[in-house]
Amino acid sequence: MKRNDVILIACLLIICGLLFAGMKFWQKRNTDADAYVEVKVDGEVYATYPLNEDRVERIEYDNGCYNVLEIKDGKANVTEASCPDQICVRHKAIHYSDETIVCLPNKLTITVVGGNQNQIDATTN
Amino acid sequence: MKKKLISCFLIIIFIAFIAFILIKNHISGDLQRQLQSISGGADKYTSTSIDLFDTKTDIVGYSDSEEQFAKDSKVIIDKLTYYNRIYDIYNDYEGVNNVKTINDNAGVTPVKVDKELIDMLKFGKQMYYETDGRINIAMGSVLSIWHNYREAGLDNPKEAKLPSKEELEDAAEHTNIEDMVIDEKASTVFLKDERMSLDVGAVAKGYAVQQALDYARSKGMDNILLNVGGNISCIGGRTDGSKFMVAIQNPDLESDEPYVEAFEIEDGECVVSSGDYQRYYEVDGKKYCHIINPDTLFPSDEFAQVSILAKDSGVADGFSTALFNMSLEDGKEFIAGYKNVEAMWVMPDGSKVYTQGFKDYIK
Repeated sequence: MKRNDVILIACLLIICGLLFAGMKFWQKRNTDADAYVEVKVDGEVYATYPLNEDRVERIEYDNGCYNVLEIKDGKANVTEASCPDQICVRHKAIHYSDETIVCLPNKLTITVVGGNQNQIDATTN
Repeated sequence: MKKKLISCFLIIIFIAFIAFILIKNHISGDLQRQLQSISGGADKYTSTSIDLFDTKTDIVGYSDSEEQFAKDSKVIIDKLTYYNRIYDIYNDYEGVNNVKTINDNAGVTPVKVDKELIDMLKFGKQMYYETDGRINIAMGSVLSIWHNYREAGLDNPKEAKLPSKEELEDAAEHTNIEDMVIDEKASTVFLKDERMSLDVGAVAKGYAVQQALDYARSKGMDNILLNVGGNISCIGGRTDGSKFMVAIQNPDLESDEPYVEAFEIEDGECVVSSGDYQRYYEVDGKKYCHIINPDTLFPSDEFAQVSILAKDSGVADGFSTALFNMSLEDGKEFIAGYKNVEAMWVMPDGSKVYTQGFKDYIK
């Protein structure tokens, strides 16, 4: 391998690294740094989590039921739940301000607070 | 030498990429600020409730203060809470005679109820005549069978079963809407057939949305949008002069595209969708949705979704169910008979059919 090859490979690697960092940086900028997810159970605030930190939280209830909340890449999603209807699991990941995922059987609401504004005010279901 | 040139080139591309991102962000930030200043100080608020009509209720509004918005939305929520109680078919409430009370007294005695309940039942009966029986609020005996099988099937998917044709046909003998006797003078409702029951699910939510919004309007409220489980309507628009923007949920929940359409709605315009993708259960890998066709006594499967645009939320709600229970051709003919009512059908393969008015409206 010639010296120039090494330089090229090193350059390419650095570029890849910088690109990746740039993407992450972009993502962070696009996710409002103040945005957070408010989890409510039966109307009471259960927890809040920042939207720009990836995490998985299992929300458990006294009756053995549960919902699994995943925050990834600036979006909140319910990935698993004990409820029979699974409407919360089928709901798409949310990230706009005031978007909500609801699990009626578990009386759970997950709402984005302080994120970017959605141009859409309401969706049919 | 050539390789050096390539690396230089790549580095330049990268720098350009970063610059592009920064400029883009800068511009969109400016736009956001500009949009905020146009709205003239009034902030946007949303309140979400999960205690009404077994679904999610959102109120979106613009107000000078959070207190004012909280006050306004409470007026609407209180109204909806009242309707939720008197239209409820599953629960009893202390001191309230509701649809369940009427059902519990079928064949026994007339039940004294509020005028608001009688008005809704009369609206339901009117819907029956207009849709040629495609919506029948007196079909509770059939719907409750499906409800029970669905609940059992969801609780225990491996044991999920279908009701038998005989069971359904037997129940269908007790769905004559003329056996619902309304005495407006005495303010009572009596079901003559003891095996009959009312299920107002196809119209009550939409009817309640219309009543609640009419009430809010009479109280001088403006710039407010109400979404009760997908029954959407609004008073006015956003405070920046633009209109409220509404989206039709994509019935294909696996798709990356969350909406099939998004468009602005005028003051008082109502939108609702009926579909097979939210409430259903599966038996042997086949989906059975909650909308039951009165002709076949089985869930309809002609469409993935039907959406209605109308000036009245109760009509929109009822007609979306009615069209879901009709063939495309019948539905087109039916809807053509109404001014200001438009429809959009999403077929099981995802293709879309619009009435001309719907197409014109969303442009």
